[in-house]
Amino acid sequence: MMQTIAIFVGAYRELSARKIFWLALAVSLLVVALFACLGINETGITFIGWTFESPFFSTKTLSPETFYKSLFVNLGVDWWLGVLSTLLALVTTCGIIPDLVAPGSVDLLLAKPITRTRLFLTKYCTGLLFAALQVLVFSTATFFVIGVRGGAWEWTLFAAVPIVTFFYSLLFSICALVGVLTRSSVASLILTLLAWTIIFTINISESIVNSGRIANQLESTAIEAKLANTDTPVDDDEREELTNDLAKALDRRPTWDRAHFWFFGVKTFLPKTTDTLKLLDRWLLESASMPGRDEDSSRGPQQAFGPKRVKRGEFQRAVREDEQSHSIWWILGTSVVFEGIILGLATVVFVRRDY
Amino acid sequence: MDFPRQPVRDSANDFAIDLADVHKTYGRKIRALQGVTLQVRAGEIFGLLGPNGAGKSTLVKVMMTIVRPDTATGTVLNRHVGDPVALARIGYLPEHHRFPTYLTGRQVVEFSGAMSKVDRPTRKKRASELLDRVGMGGWKDRPLASYSKGMRQRIGLAAALVNDPQLVVLDEPTDGVDPVGRREIRDLLIGIRDEGRTVLLNSHLLSEIENVCSRVAIMVQGRMVAQGTIDELTSSSRRYEIVVEGTAPSWCTDSASIHMIPPGQMIAAGIQGESCRLIFLGLDALGAQPILDRLRAEQRTVIAVQTVRESLEDLFMRAVTDPTTGLIYRPGAVT
Repeated sequence: MMQTIAIFVGAYRELSARKIFWLALAVSLLVVALFACLGINETGITFIGWTFESPFFSTKTLSPETFYKSLFVNLGVDWWLGVLSTLLALVTTCGIIPDLVAPGSVDLLLAKPITRTRLFLTKYCTGLLFAALQVLVFSTATFFVIGVRGGAWEWTLFAAVPIVTFFYSLLFSICALVGVLTRSSVASLILTLLAWTIIFTINISESIVNSGRIANQLESTAIEAKLANTDTPVDDDEREELTNDLAKALDRRPTWDRAHFWFFGVKTFLPKTTDTLKLLDRWLLESASMPGRDEDSSRGPQQAFGPKRVKRGEFQRAVREDEQSHSIWWILGTSVVFEGIILGLATVVFVRRDY
Repeated sequence: MDFPRQPVRDSANDFAIDLADVHKTYGRKIRALQGVTLQVRAGEIFGLLGPNGAGKSTLVKVMMTIVRPDTATGTVLNRHVGDPVALARIGYLPEHHRFPTYLTGRQVVEFSGAMSKVDRPTRKKRASELLDRVGMGGWKDRPLASYSKGMRQRIGLAAALVNDPQLVVLDEPTDGVDPVGRREIRDLLIGIRDEGRTVLLNSHLLSEIENVCSRVAIMVQGRMVAQGTIDELTSSSRRYEIVVEGTAPSWCTDSASIHMIPPGQMIAAGIQGESCRLIFLGLDALGAQPILDRLRAEQRTVIAVQTVRESLEDLFMRAVTDPTTGLIYRPGAVT
């Protein structure tokens, strides 16, 4: 335990010696300060003294509590913590493993009475310290903003700390593997960003294909229902058009199903970075009276495949329900397996190498 | 670490380091260690010598679990190589060490102590004492980024001693240190030995080794070619030199009469200006008397008489030179 504490204290000293750590913390607090400056009233959104009228965002449609939670999840977590802060964290921590295995540095630690496996995994965990501290500061500040400005003391906000740290750990495991293989901070950063981009692209592609598949199903179901509806019979021209559309939809269905099968198959073996962050939506926004992001969004790739004869809200709900049909255990479990494999490989390389 | 585990030998108790049959091959081609045997007695300063690429650092790294040997038997501090209990009792300063520059000298020493499982109050106390001892007391709270190379070396020494080690392994400890600092480090090493600790000193500075080490070992191309006290290793080169005025006596070069100089053997007679130097290998003072008598009988003026022994540098150069070609051995040994 003494050694673990020493390594963590050392990691904190290393982080605090870097300007980028303090810069990221300052920006985190600035983002929260901006949240605090934003408000909502009966006519729209307020920012310090100004009011921006909006028919969609006002206390008539949203409670202040839900408004701030939505800001926290959609902007704070998805954009700040999920993208920008993660980039800063990767830039800051990408050198941890290459520094560990650098000649002259690794000798000092390997000569100590600590197993290589424990040393490597502890160092890996110190890399998560940056992300964890950033999220903790951000969540704490937002907790007070929602409490004071929104009137609700939402403890579930702190679920962001483990979730975002876990999300970061998925990327940092790749960074650690590249770091131990190449001993280069730059290579670690670039290849991790590349892997993140690939994972993101596959996740988005799967989402798009899945939307198309659902749209196809909804469309054909809607046509079949209309054709079978005897209460409001359709004329011959319309019946012909519906029959043709149904035939086309049924014809395309195997293509959508096959495409989704492959994308979903690939996605299953990859870390669920996007889905992991979306878990916060489930826990924070679903409990509130506000529908999730998917329903609010008027844009998004799934709109390109939207069914003609199904209401947009119904389609979005179906897509969201399908996404949420994946259990938390599937999202976290498959991601943990991926992380375990990558981290296991990195550990084996570290343990078996001569320095 | 899955280091080879061999039974601990009974004789190991006398030695702080007792290694045998250490083999290490890098990448199936470079045979860094080829059956090395090393025995370092408890309480001595032992010098490990060898040219670059001889395998010294690899041997040290095998002991410190930084490099995994192909095979290795024996013990370090009476424990298997890599045993955590032994590692906790070893202080190690690697060559080209890289301490984090954002830490202060005191933090480096305390971190080293914590990693060796020294409890907090003890390591704080020892850190202060050691930093004063290596002359860094006034700099202990400044970051390493502001230190010179010699100052970092001193911090490294303090870090290697913070766990109150029984065995101290130092790889080029005076690298980058000025002559005054070297003298201080030499005194420090003697002090460490006087405290009952064992020191394994890996250095290229032969004078440094000669001054402080009780025993030395010389490695060449992954093999241990010599091991013992400096006296033992140079005894075969001990010679007697007599300087006389004028040219060499004829009997010195006359093979028929040389038998009269038992038990010595004249190996050279060289003219130096107006004098002549007669060199006798393996001759002691008693054996020299008949020669001196004869020289006096011939009315020769004896200018100087002295016993000469090979220096460590001579010994080292002899060990690293191929006797057949007269060339220095290449670094490392390739299969």
